[in-house]
Amino acid sequence: MTAASPRFRMTTRTRVSSWATIGAAILTAGLAALPAVASRGLIQDLFFIFTMLCLAQYWNLLAGYAGLVSVGQQAFVGLGAYTLFAATILAGIEPLTAALLSGVVAAAMAVPTAFVVFRLRGAYFAIGTWVAAEVYRLVLAQVKELGGGTGTSLTMSVVSSTAGLDWVSMAFGVRTPAARDIVVYWAALALLVITLAGIYWLLRSRFGLALSSLRDSELTASSIGVDAFRLKVFVYILTAAGGGAAGALIFLQSARISPDSAFAVLDWTAYVIFIVVIGGIGTIEGPIVGAVVFYFLQTYLAAFGTWYLMLLGALGIVIMLIAPKGIWGSIADRFDLHLFPTRRRLVVTSTRRTGDDRQRARQSGPPSGQMRR
Amino acid sequence: MTNRISGVSRRGFAKRSIAAGVAAAAAPTWTSTVFAQSSKPIRLGYVSPRTGPLAAFAEADDFVIKGYLETVKGGLKIGNATRPVEVVVKDSQSNPNRAATVAKELIVNDKVDLILVGGTPETTNPVSTQCEIEGVPCISTLAPWQPYFIGRQGNPGDPKTWKPFSYTYHFFWGLEDVIAVYTNMWEQVSTNKSVGGLFPNDGDGNAWGDKVVGFPPVLDKKGYKLTDPGRYRNLTDDFTAQINAFKNAKCEILTGVVLPPDFTTFWNQARQQGFRPKVASVGKALLFPVSVETLGDAGNNLSSEVWWTPNHPFKSSLTGLSAKQVADAYQQSSGKQWTQPIGFAHALFEIATDALKRSADAGKADAIVAAIAATDLDTIVGKVHWGQKDLPPFAQKNIAKTPLVGGQWRRAANGKYDIVITDNKTAPSIPVGGQMQPIA
Repeated sequence: MTAASPRFRMTTRTRVSSWATIGAAILTAGLAALPAVASRGLIQDLFFIFTMLCLAQYWNLLAGYAGLVSVGQQAFVGLGAYTLFAATILAGIEPLTAALLSGVVAAAMAVPTAFVVFRLRGAYFAIGTWVAAEVYRLVLAQVKELGGGTGTSLTMSVVSSTAGLDWVSMAFGVRTPAARDIVVYWAALALLVITLAGIYWLLRSRFGLALSSLRDSELTASSIGVDAFRLKVFVYILTAAGGGAAGALIFLQSARISPDSAFAVLDWTAYVIFIVVIGGIGTIEGPIVGAVVFYFLQTYLAAFGTWYLMLLGALGIVIMLIAPKGIWGSIADRFDLHLFPTRRRLVVTSTRRTGDDRQRARQSGPPSGQMRR
Repeated sequence: MTNRISGVSRRGFAKRSIAAGVAAAAAPTWTSTVFAQSSKPIRLGYVSPRTGPLAAFAEADDFVIKGYLETVKGGLKIGNATRPVEVVVKDSQSNPNRAATVAKELIVNDKVDLILVGGTPETTNPVSTQCEIEGVPCISTLAPWQPYFIGRQGNPGDPKTWKPFSYTYHFFWGLEDVIAVYTNMWEQVSTNKSVGGLFPNDGDGNAWGDKVVGFPPVLDKKGYKLTDPGRYRNLTDDFTAQINAFKNAKCEILTGVVLPPDFTTFWNQARQQGFRPKVASVGKALLFPVSVETLGDAGNNLSSEVWWTPNHPFKSSLTGLSAKQVADAYQQSSGKQWTQPIGFAHALFEIATDALKRSADAGKADAIVAAIAATDLDTIVGKVHWGQKDLPPFAQKNIAKTPLVGGQWRRAANGKYDIVITDNKTAPSIPVGGQMQPIA
């Protein structure tokens, strides 16, 4: 694109985003080193935030970019979790390796699922995904080796076979349960970094442009040569893989599975949608804000039981009514702040440019409506 | 929600500090932990389904815990030290994922010494699993031992792989007991011995309907013909298939382990569609008077297993109060009818207190576990004694059984239902209140 015009080039980068990228790298390094000083409670809380944030990012990619409103993402969390239990208990595979396998299996299962649910559109698609998740739940409830409807627990020998436990408990001088927290925390952090970096890269690529065009108008996008079907299936399979890996890590931590817990629509889809909605759909920053808000709500209000769930619902409705772009969306609009911008802008690269020009280019935004974000 | 009780007076504190100092002088190092341990509170974690579909199991929790903290407000004497007791209460929201999360919170953030948990396998199993891998002692109840023990094995389908647990202990009854109670009750009524079984695909349903450990083999041996139309899904709204299967087999007896709302649906549909068994003995659904009341007159003479009533001839090891006195106190303070979990929630705290008192080195998980394993205590729900011969060898270490009898719901003139014990062959010390009557 730079070659096409000597005076302009297209970029998504801003000065803020450059700083944000550096900040994110420092934050990641800090988080990776955190177990050396942090308490187990903090490590576990961050694990919760990381895994929920992964799920939220995938749902955001599906709904916010590909326009696929799925309420059946628990299908892949559950499949990933069950793959972990089957691989570790029945086949004796090391849990972290099994978690990778979970991602692969979930992606593989997404192919036949996509074949069915992609025949449906809009609300029917949403219901179709839910039905697919229920089908998986009912099927796994019949598998006696994994406890059927009763469910089963990871045994002591399985959880203590996690890679790196001895090293961590020596290096940090902690007991084995705490070492397990740290290892699983690192795995979740790695999954989160891969997820965020992968999605950011994806959205800034040609592929992301195609996705954005799809989100704004599927008809227009198709008419200018975007292969909508292939794109959607690709995103669906990708999110299934991520959801499966996240599910495996979540259930490695809880060590107990049952069809009801693995395929819980409330835990793995409703809360995730809540995170994306309050944070801001269609942005990378939104789910991050949403996950942190959700964590605090859960920590301080979960003791209120039913009232807590009603409050979450009410909060979701209020945000949708008064700030449909979510918390981050509202902040971003107000201050024109984009930490991870995916919007393409033209920047003047002429030799005659001045500081004023550069600033104008930064503020001018996109050249045309169709190319926003 | 944290209830703190401080049982340390200033003078007592000073005395113990001196004692600690003397003890520490003999010890190789003087550390603050020696000092801290004498006054550090003993902290109990308590998980139950306070909200959600299982909430009835936790209805009496606040009453029981308040009473318990009143009893131990002077602290617990463990070894040479008197330590204050704290109870940290967590709600599982009837959700197994949440139960695992709050168990982790109790262990990691609240650093509890011992966890107590009750309220169906959906609550006991995730919590016990966490305790086992974290090495924190746990006592549980309110779940038949099979779904608790077998449901926590890596491969529940293969008995050869089953192993006992190191940190988690359970007391309740087993399927063999409920089967004995039910068949004893059925023998009091003349029927054609054709039984319809209603088993859902959940922890309890799979265990009750299991072809090896559940109802089918025993019923077969006792000459009953069981019609089992397969595992249904919880919260179903159409039982026509099951009702037709039972009608075709001319079942005169109904049994199963059913969620309360499902039983209401089933029973109403059965009556509409002309299925009227002479006996209906159903687990879980008929535990609570409120769920029987929703059936109106159709609830009369439904029968159920009975684990605890105010008429049980037992008394609390904590307060010395009889079962009747505890139930009366609950009715007075809450204005509600007594329910069976009251006794078991109370017994959890009895066993915990007894074990802690006997643990030489309280605060150390292994010492507490050793004390729990050695428990031989007469509680408000009967004797609790682990390691007995009334269980298969693999389960003896972690399971203790309490007595079980059978009863029928009878409607009083004021429309209230009361359970009457109609069979005590399994536990003759518990008095019967009447004979079995066929359903009108």
